[in-house]
Amino acid sequence: MTTLLQVTGLTKQFADKVVVDGIDFTLAENTSTALIGPNGAGKTTTLSMLTGLLKPTSGSVKVLNGDLRSNIGFLPQFPQFHPWLSALEFTEMAAKLNGVPAKKAKLAAQKTLEFVGLGNDANKKIATFSGGMKQRLGISQAIVHKPKLLLLDEPVSALDPVGRREVLDLLKGLQQETTILYSTHILNDAEEMTDQLLFLRNGELVEQGTLREVRQRFDEPNYVVEFNTEEEAQHFTNKSELLGNVKGRFVYIEIINEKPSMQELLHHLSNAPYKIRKVERQTASLEEIFMKVARKI
Amino acid sequence: MRGFNVLLQKEFREAWRSWKFLWIPLVFALLGMSDPLTNYYMMDILNAVGNLPEGFEMLMPELMPVDLLQASIGQFQTIGLLVLMATFVGTISKERASGMATLLYVRPISFSAYFMSKFVVMSTVGFVSILAGFAASIYYTVVLYGTFEIGSLVASFFTYFSWLLFVLAVTLMMSATFKTIVATSCAFILIFVGQIINAIVGTFWTISPWKLPVYGVQLMRGTMEMSDYWWSLVITIISTIVCIGIGTITMKRNASMTKI
Repeated sequence: MTTLLQVTGLTKQFADKVVVDGIDFTLAENTSTALIGPNGAGKTTTLSMLTGLLKPTSGSVKVLNGDLRSNIGFLPQFPQFHPWLSALEFTEMAAKLNGVPAKKAKLAAQKTLEFVGLGNDANKKIATFSGGMKQRLGISQAIVHKPKLLLLDEPVSALDPVGRREVLDLLKGLQQETTILYSTHILNDAEEMTDQLLFLRNGELVEQGTLREVRQRFDEPNYVVEFNTEEEAQHFTNKSELLGNVKGRFVYIEIINEKPSMQELLHHLSNAPYKIRKVERQTASLEEIFMKVARKI
Repeated sequence: MRGFNVLLQKEFREAWRSWKFLWIPLVFALLGMSDPLTNYYMMDILNAVGNLPEGFEMLMPELMPVDLLQASIGQFQTIGLLVLMATFVGTISKERASGMATLLYVRPISFSAYFMSKFVVMSTVGFVSILAGFAASIYYTVVLYGTFEIGSLVASFFTYFSWLLFVLAVTLMMSATFKTIVATSCAFILIFVGQIINAIVGTFWTISPWKLPVYGVQLMRGTMEMSDYWWSLVITIISTIVCIGIGTITMKRNASMTKI
């Protein structure tokens, strides 16, 4: 995979507060990267520096083959538009300012608006738009010139579940031909479309890697066995040589180095005179990993 | 000047759709017609209002057409400029504060193009406004008092326009440099306090942009010392260009002030 963007030692300091503290990462072409972290971790500041709006205190952002500003599309968390323009006029202007020839700009704008689902509202004034429509327009102005790198700050956080689903599907449709870097604190979204995870905490990059890698590092897998009654659960734990934690009707058995195996567990269970409702192997959700990373010292 | 045409179109659309091309010229037209009308009908107004003591007689000064134009320009200088400056002083700073600038600043635009597109639209609104103001003033003066000599009238108009360009360049520069509140204060202080200083101790010098509106009238009276006039005009134009230059630089430097 070819590298599109290389960030080295990126630091931003406001007065005496270091908001982003020397982070390094690279983005490969046509991959999606999620920038995750609690509020105030420095996600927006990082994105702002990548757009060029904010000058880094130190460190560098290198785009291979080309100038940064003409190759990016940016969607801020709360995009603000000139209310007296129509959606089509705004998108067309965005295209032209990014160097799309005037003749093609209008067509490109129309197509993009249809793609984001604003085809019927293209000629309405932005002043009349709802929050969801503005978010779609925000995406359309960010992608109309087909940028190589798409930077999205909390693209779906402000949307209702339906809108979120639709916007996520839109972004998935772009994944094939665009490098996407987006910040979010909604982890289900990150789980859904991510090749790489970047965990920010207090301005530092504390974890990074593919979803699989991060999961392996933080996963504490275990089995859950659900019994019919609490007594049975307690009884089973006391009698069996497997180490288990009882929580109500559930028994949690930790898996260490793939021991015990599912077969061993089932073997233990099959001889026991209990009614068993469910046996399951659990892996940590991204949310649990997030909590661990956020608290890690 | 990348993106100049596109940005110019955007600025014109804004000015047009927010009715700036209508209501600001209307204000100037009203200001322009007020002096010829009130002066001409002063005696009638006083009589109609009543309460004049018995045997009261007032000697109305014999007014020349140029006196009425001077009075109208005096109106433009206070209320007119106040309206224009208040309308435009937030044009850059408010765009930054609201975050509307963000979606433009991330694109490969040139800041001089963006600054100039705003300046051109402001100047056009200003031009149309003083055109309406002069036209209204001249129309009623010609109907009620007498005619002007067309050549010096045009010269006077463009002299005033040069001054207006200077005022607008100062306003826009302040908007690029500061937040709206500070920009408003600084622009108003520079223009209006400048006028007051010019009125109080202005006799000690003869060359300054603040003198230009009066010089335009003196051109019509034929009492103008031409070297003073030309020097003031040159200084005004240079100051305008300097303001545009500084404004472009500060606009670029303050790009990170935009709300993200």
